[in-house]
Amino acid sequence: MDGLLSQLGDYLNGNQVFTVSTLAMYWQGLVNTVQLVFIALIIGLLLSLPFAVMRSSKKAWLKWPVWAFTYLFRATPLLIQLYIAYYGFAFIHPAEGSLLSTFSNNALYPALLAFTLNTAAYTTEIFHGAIKATSRGELEAARAYGMSRSLMMRRIILPSAFRRALPTYGNEVIFMLHASAIASTVTIMDLTGAAYYVYSRFYTPFPAFIFVALLYMVLSFGIQGLFKMLERKLLVHQRPRS
Amino acid sequence: MSDTTPPLVVSNIHKRFGDNEVLRGLSLTASKGDVITLIGSSGSGKSTFLRCMNLLERPDKGSIQVHGEEIRFKESRRGRELADLRQVERVRARLSMVFQNFNLWSHMTLLQNVIEAPVHVLKVPKAEARERGMALLERVGLAERAQYYPSQLSGGQQQRGAIARALAMEPEVMLFDEPTSALDPELVGDVLKVMRELADEGRTMIVVTHEMSFARDVSDQVVFLHQGLIEEAGVPAQVLEQPTSPRLRQFLAPKH
Ligand SMILES: Nc1ncnc2c1ncn2[C@@H]1O[C@H](COP(=O)(O)OP(=O)(O)OP(=O)(O)O)[C@@H](O)[C@H]1O
Ligand SMILES: [Mg+2]
Repeated sequence: MDGLLSQLGDYLNGNQVFTVSTLAMYWQGLVNTVQLVFIALIIGLLLSLPFAVMRSSKKAWLKWPVWAFTYLFRATPLLIQLYIAYYGFAFIHPAEGSLLSTFSNNALYPALLAFTLNTAAYTTEIFHGAIKATSRGELEAARAYGMSRSLMMRRIILPSAFRRALPTYGNEVIFMLHASAIASTVTIMDLTGAAYYVYSRFYTPFPAFIFVALLYMVLSFGIQGLFKMLERKLLVHQRPRS
Repeated sequence: MSDTTPPLVVSNIHKRFGDNEVLRGLSLTASKGDVITLIGSSGSGKSTFLRCMNLLERPDKGSIQVHGEEIRFKESRRGRELADLRQVERVRARLSMVFQNFNLWSHMTLLQNVIEAPVHVLKVPKAEARERGMALLERVGLAERAQYYPSQLSGGQQQRGAIARALAMEPEVMLFDEPTSALDPELVGDVLKVMRELADEGRTMIVVTHEMSFARDVSDQVVFLHQGLIEEAGVPAQVLEQPTSPRLRQFLAPKH
């Protein structure tokens, strides 16, 4: 182990690409990526729950606006959504020092907006599909035992839909992580942005991008592990008893 | 209400699906402790009739009284509708239903299934509901399966669990829709045994069934439906042993 570390140290000393300053850039990129993706996912998830319930409603005025929203965001490329948010913010030119100007001066906010709405749209559809797949017999039993519509939603429909949606939602989370790479196109120094900087500074595409690919991989594995754990806890009812 | 008020009185129930007139004026009174079996060929309207009693289907005409309380309807442009959903929910909670396909909630353990409606609909304190739920599972022979999920149980176990869920509501009337039809033959006996015990302890039950031995041995009244009408009804000794209707005779004739 010590031998390996000292070898690694020699390697790092000998090369110009992975210096303390470039590693610090990668680290900052990692922080930015995780921050961006995590916040977008959390807000998107919170939005998608009421949206999915509305989308599953029988009332047209609840259903169609949500349908239009999810359709719009799923029918256009995320990159275009990001551009519209980014240039849209820049277009507003808010007064210097105002709250809005801090938003428009930092590319993070338009990116956050685009990513949040995009993942909210996809997650809404995932939950909507899971809600629709609720067993008719189980719903009927809930009605027969005197449950009101809201109680049924809270106790039967959402808990079982949430469990059904878990594996698909796990894919959406990984998809968002990978899609967040496009944030670098609007000047955000995320992981990809950092890799691109290192590449253009030293003209060494392979070390720069393979290293960042490894970082994305580690994050993906972490997310997968997290969802595997959640599934083990929440999907016990689908597994045979040993 | 006096003690002699029948738990369930339905009269002149009509129901149509589009052009298909499925129920054409059905009446039935379940007095306390009655076990009434509904028999009839497939499509005669047995399930629809039973589902009208707890308003899973809304009858087009006719009245329903649960322990003297009449279900209120209102006329609207779209036809007859339930006037008071709260009333219907309250009434449903007093009529437990046991389904052909069990319909246990798949994301809950057996015990959770049993205490779900008592806790969230009847507002029974959780500890009390658990204690009673365990006793009920004990009585249907599933105490050691309390923490199992429905998919981990056999059909017969699921159905006995569903009966425990129904009992947990301390219902005024229990409605059974072919509770043994989806079961492997060797599992039918356990479920019927539980149902016989319930009948013996004086529960009011309305049972749609093809189990003629159950109808003969257990019920106080047998009702034979044919094309949405009551073709013949009475005590089992008479209806099953000396049927007068030719259709009932044909229905009861041994199949080849
Ligand atoms: N939701 C529905 N929509 C349309 N038609 C229906 C509906 N439910 C039942 N029917 C029709 O009503 C008739 C009676 O059905 P029902 O299920 O009450 O019969 P059943 O006596 O219970 O038969 P089985 O012994 O096969 O269960 C059938 O012709 C059926 O096709
Ligand atoms: Mg039926």
